[in-house]
Amino acid sequence: MKKFFTLLKIEGKLSLRSIDSIFFGICMPVGIIILIGLIAGPNPTTSDAGYTLIQSSFGALVTVGICATAFMGIPLTIADYRDKKILKHFFVTPVSPTMLLWVHAVINMLLSVISALLIYATARIFFGYQMIGSELAFVGSYLLVMVSMYSLGLLIASLCRTIKTANVVCSIVYFPMLFLSGATIPFDIFPKQLQTVAGFLPLTQGIRLLKSASLGLETSLLMPLIVLVGSLIIGIILSMRFFRWE
Amino acid sequence: MENCIEVKNLNKSYGHRVAVNNLNLTVKKGEVFGLLGPNGAGKSTTIDCILGLKSFENGSVRVLGMDPARERKRLFERVGVQLQSSSYQGNIRVGEVCEEIAALYQSPADYHDLLSQFKLDQYLKQPVAKLSGGEKQKLSVLLALIPQPEVLFLDELTTGLDTEARREVWHVLTALKKKGLTLFLTSHYMDEVEVLCDRICIISQGHALVTDTVPKLIQSSPYQRLEEAYLWVMKEEIAL
Repeated sequence: MKKFFTLLKIEGKLSLRSIDSIFFGICMPVGIIILIGLIAGPNPTTSDAGYTLIQSSFGALVTVGICATAFMGIPLTIADYRDKKILKHFFVTPVSPTMLLWVHAVINMLLSVISALLIYATARIFFGYQMIGSELAFVGSYLLVMVSMYSLGLLIASLCRTIKTANVVCSIVYFPMLFLSGATIPFDIFPKQLQTVAGFLPLTQGIRLLKSASLGLETSLLMPLIVLVGSLIIGIILSMRFFRWE
Repeated sequence: MENCIEVKNLNKSYGHRVAVNNLNLTVKKGEVFGLLGPNGAGKSTTIDCILGLKSFENGSVRVLGMDPARERKRLFERVGVQLQSSSYQGNIRVGEVCEEIAALYQSPADYHDLLSQFKLDQYLKQPVAKLSGGEKQKLSVLLALIPQPEVLFLDELTTGLDTEARREVWHVLTALKKKGLTLFLTSHYMDEVEVLCDRICIISQGHALVTDTVPKLIQSSPYQRLEEAYLWVMKEEIAL
């Protein structure tokens, strides 16, 4: 356990030194919630009155941290460490390289959770945000979305052989997930056709789940649950099949 | 004397290309053994197979009496490894990479001592990326010494080092040899091999041409120095 925490401390410091994960994972979503709060304030949303724009966006914005860690942080770190033979080097030590992967899983989970908590604190303190739905259901949904997206991130790391392809694939996956899933731009304002297409993104379904949980909506959640659990299972199975240590 | 490393009938190929062809070698406790040969001769592949990093078609490998692939956790408490052209996490500092490696072992050496032995102690807080090529290479040898190994593997240990730094590394290694360290190395520098190695094995296209002590190998050739003797062995091979 001591080994794990020493690695966590050092690798954690390294993650904090690279500004982009902090910027995209934490500063950006907090900035957006402040903007939404300042623009819309306590006014109800136009389409579905009964709750404010902050309340309707909250479930989506907490996924920005997940998105940044799942589609940038995790796959790029693994591809980089594989390229530099750091993972290979762990095979000639008494510690399994799997421990290094777990260390990074924990670092990225912590980053996502900190991002979500800061968004919550900002919304709560400055804009009087109250969650309508059950907190427990929301936390559960959040964790499901997180592990599901992380398994897809691991899949990207498994399929990309070099850091260059990983970089390209991460950009191709990260930006559409960020902008089309409703994480940053409200899904409801998209044209119908775009909504249909974006509906195929796993994160879109994750956000549907989080949104219903945070608003306490009584909609059918079968589809989001199937997509998320499906992504999780497929991601893990294919990663185990294709993962390469070097 | 006890055998530290035993390789028997090792065969490894990548598709149709044979990388290691029926290689046999033994390294005794306290011995410094050099694996020599041109680039692409199969030196790194051999080291990878000995360390259990690569699977091989047939043959057997024992290090300290253990199977490296099966008894990895136990074996690598006692074995230090420097892999060829190692690199490190971006923006990691010298002290941090030492601390991280030291954390992996039950009884690691004090890395501050090692840093001063290698004259790297002034870089403790510096990013590894800012070190010169030679300093990075010294650091990779230093990291292999952190487990306080009984057996040490060094793949191209002094590539990129200047004369002075090379002497520092040799100095540390000969001191450790006196304490009974077993050393398995590859190198392209014959002066280094002459200074450090007790026995050498020259390989070409995956099979061993000669395995002998350095003085005996020179004697068997028409030359006085290892470099000429080495080139002579390689030429004889081509003539056949």
